Amino acid sequence: MSAENSTGGLAIVDKYYQGYGSRARELKKQGKQIMGYLCAFTPVEIITAAGFVPFRIKGDVNEPITKADTEMETIVCPLVRSWFDMSLKGKYEFLDGLVISHACDSMARSKDIWKYTLGLPYFHFIDTSHAIDDSSLDFFVSILGTFRKSLGGFIGQEISDESLAQAIRVYNENRQRIWDLYELRKSDPPLLSGAEMTRVLVAAMGLPVQESIKLLEGVITEVKQRQPAVGAKLPRIMVVGAEVDDAAFIELIEDAGASVVTDDLCPGGREYRAFVKTEGDPVAAIAERYLRGIMCGRSYVEQKGTYPEYLEQRFGHIARAAKEYNVDGIVLYIYKYCDPFGFEVPAMKSYLEAQGIQVLYLEDEYSMSTVGRLRTRIQAFLEMLGTR
Amino acid sequence: MTEEKKPEERKKRRTATEAAASIGPMVKAMITDVQKAREEGKPIAFTFIACAYDEIIRAMDIVPSWVENYAGICGAKRDAQRFLERAESLNFSRSLCTYALCGLGFDSWREELGEMPPDAPWGGQVKPTVMLGSGQILCDPRNKWFQAAQHYMPDVPVYDVSLPYPAYADDYDFHETEGYYVKHIVEQLRGLIDFLEEQTGHKMDWARLEELVDLVDRTYDLIVDTYDLRRAIPTPMGTGDAMNTMVPIQFMMATQQAYDFFTNLNAELKDKIARKEGVIEDEKYRLIWGGGLPSWFALGDFNYFNSKGAVFPVETTYRTLESTRDFDIDLKKIKDPLEHIAWRWVKTWTYWYDKARKRPGSHPDVERLIQYIEDFKIDGIVMHEAFSCRSWHVGLIWQLNHLKKIYRDMPSLILESDIIDISSYNEADTRARIDAFIDTLEAVKDR
Repeated sequence: MSAENSTGGLAIVDKYYQGYGSRARELKKQGKQIMGYLCAFTPVEIITAAGFVPFRIKGDVNEPITKADTEMETIVCPLVRSWFDMSLKGKYEFLDGLVISHACDSMARSKDIWKYTLGLPYFHFIDTSHAIDDSSLDFFVSILGTFRKSLGGFIGQEISDESLAQAIRVYNENRQRIWDLYELRKSDPPLLSGAEMTRVLVAAMGLPVQESIKLLEGVITEVKQRQPAVGAKLPRIMVVGAEVDDAAFIELIEDAGASVVTDDLCPGGREYRAFVKTEGDPVAAIAERYLRGIMCGRSYVEQKGTYPEYLEQRFGHIARAAKEYNVDGIVLYIYKYCDPFGFEVPAMKSYLEAQGIQVLYLEDEYSMSTVGRLRTRIQAFLEMLGTR
Repeated sequence: MTEEKKPEERKKRRTATEAAASIGPMVKAMITDVQKAREEGKPIAFTFIACAYDEIIRAMDIVPSWVENYAGICGAKRDAQRFLERAESLNFSRSLCTYALCGLGFDSWREELGEMPPDAPWGGQVKPTVMLGSGQILCDPRNKWFQAAQHYMPDVPVYDVSLPYPAYADDYDFHETEGYYVKHIVEQLRGLIDFLEEQTGHKMDWARLEELVDLVDRTYDLIVDTYDLRRAIPTPMGTGDAMNTMVPIQFMMATQQAYDFFTNLNAELKDKIARKEGVIEDEKYRLIWGGGLPSWFALGDFNYFNSKGAVFPVETTYRTLESTRDFDIDLKKIKDPLEHIAWRWVKTWTYWYDKARKRPGSHPDVERLIQYIEDFKIDGIVMHEAFSCRSWHVGLIWQLNHLKKIYRDMPSLILESDIIDISSYNEADTRARIDAFIDTLEAVKDR
């Protein structure tokens, strides 16, 4: 059963995916405060513990970027430009503030453009270290301490350890539900398509975490009731890249005759793999999860051992996921102007190919205008997989 | 090299100062010194500019090989394209930092051949002993480039120095964060020294380090004093020359040679001022190069501005230093050399913060522009947006918009091209835009 004729969790997903931000708008009308943020490197636990509803800014591949170009250079990654364009066009007019983490140059170097142009009541930049060694972790704990104090100052109340601990528990639960859903993609054919999964992830990131958990539970119940499809089995694909917050690209792959069964993306496999420890100082636990748990190209992993061992350190988790989900091929999907992932491509591709995994590398611009070119490349890749 | 790949012959660019004219041979000698060091088995480190490790490398007698410099040389000689294309053939996107792509294309080619690529500019960039990356707020390629280069030089270890500095903020007092930034930077620099001692066998000479730390403080102050002389009307030196004199700032810091260079430049500028000798005879428009790295293959455009009566007495690019005498702490009291370096780093990058806080709605980058506009009596702003570099080229449009909002509207021009990828450059279009900008300046002056 597809989402279109669902009345359960997937129907709600569709509603929130199509009308992204509608729930936050409702909550704002009810008096809730909504805190916008970019990217998986923003510790939503702290925002939630302060009493805000964290809301992740999303782009739109169907919307031409126009307004953003009056303030932001076109050499910024197209995803960030789309986020900014949507924000300038009033799509997220309900925001009470914005938090940007130092994930990459496109976000860090544009932070002041966001801050001064949107002029929201609250703005904070989290200076997340690139390095993940012990000194960097200590530093990041201090950085998060500053964020906690700043946000507490904004609400006029200190953020307590108890509220942080509660937020940690609930976000861990949310992450677990997402993994439960990923489990349902292991069967062949998977019970949930890749495009459906992306829509679920996107819908969830625009909801208060408790509502996200409830939504995920509804989807899991619905998907478990599905009967495995019969017929020819399709190539199983994993997508690896930066942030994919629109189902269009995943649909493109699946429409070409494949199943996207897992990913190393945000929102997705990369982001939800790591949980926050529930013991000890909550800020230290949050810092460790964000700095070391999210295996992203923007972070610098210190080399241990030989160079081949180093590649295993950096990309081994992708190969293991590919094996776990019985993947036939990986599509490496990288946005133009993305330095953190762009520099990874040769090393990552050669590592994965050395593991016997076929890789298709695509560079794209976060726009539906490139669909024709991408479709041809994907079809050729799937044909190649089919003949192996 | 094939016939069609030969770089285009170019006329030597005219400089206003003898000091700037002397830079070419200095850079060539620097490259030759690295090649010689390789032959002699001395440790060589791939290094980035503005990474706070100048004194450390010099005190440990490690030879720096400035990778951005070599890419810039390839660009200036209009011979970067073959290295960029090679990087692209390795699956690096052409939208990435072209300094890095040039370096990766060159290094991978050299490693494949087992010798320098044919006709390598100035003899080529040798394989290093170590590579010193940097994770900081400045630039993603600084922690990605060397990691990527290791794919072609897997036996060359990398150390990534984390060098953050506090962000400008309204929601908290950045001074409260300085202490933990400094603590972190000191730990990172200690880690760097341990790494270098282990990898090269060279021990840190702590007494030498202290001397060099003091030398850098004095060099910073001397450079600020020297560049301030350019306030004179007519200005004795323009940004075209400053794109040469950036060499001792960025590639020779912590050497007596850099200090001596600026001592001589200082004397030369004073002499020119006394004789009222300017960059051009009839100075009509005084401009600021307000952001963006230059197109190294098109530095002649500065002469084109000059031919229209325009001079650049000041620029923000490559002024990655401030006078240590103006800091709100007394650096001389910080005896530990690593702490000293860390405080200097933090105070340099936050130098404009308190000034910006005094003007409603201001921002350090914009405040700096305003200060320079007033100090150097500026009529217009020119910036350059290099497509491949997000680090220095995002926020330029916004800065101009914000300047207009909190200060005043000024004639401005944003040129578009790249640092070394000449395929992004069209001389006729660029000069047509400069002409139109000059017309605007003229119209504003006539009002």
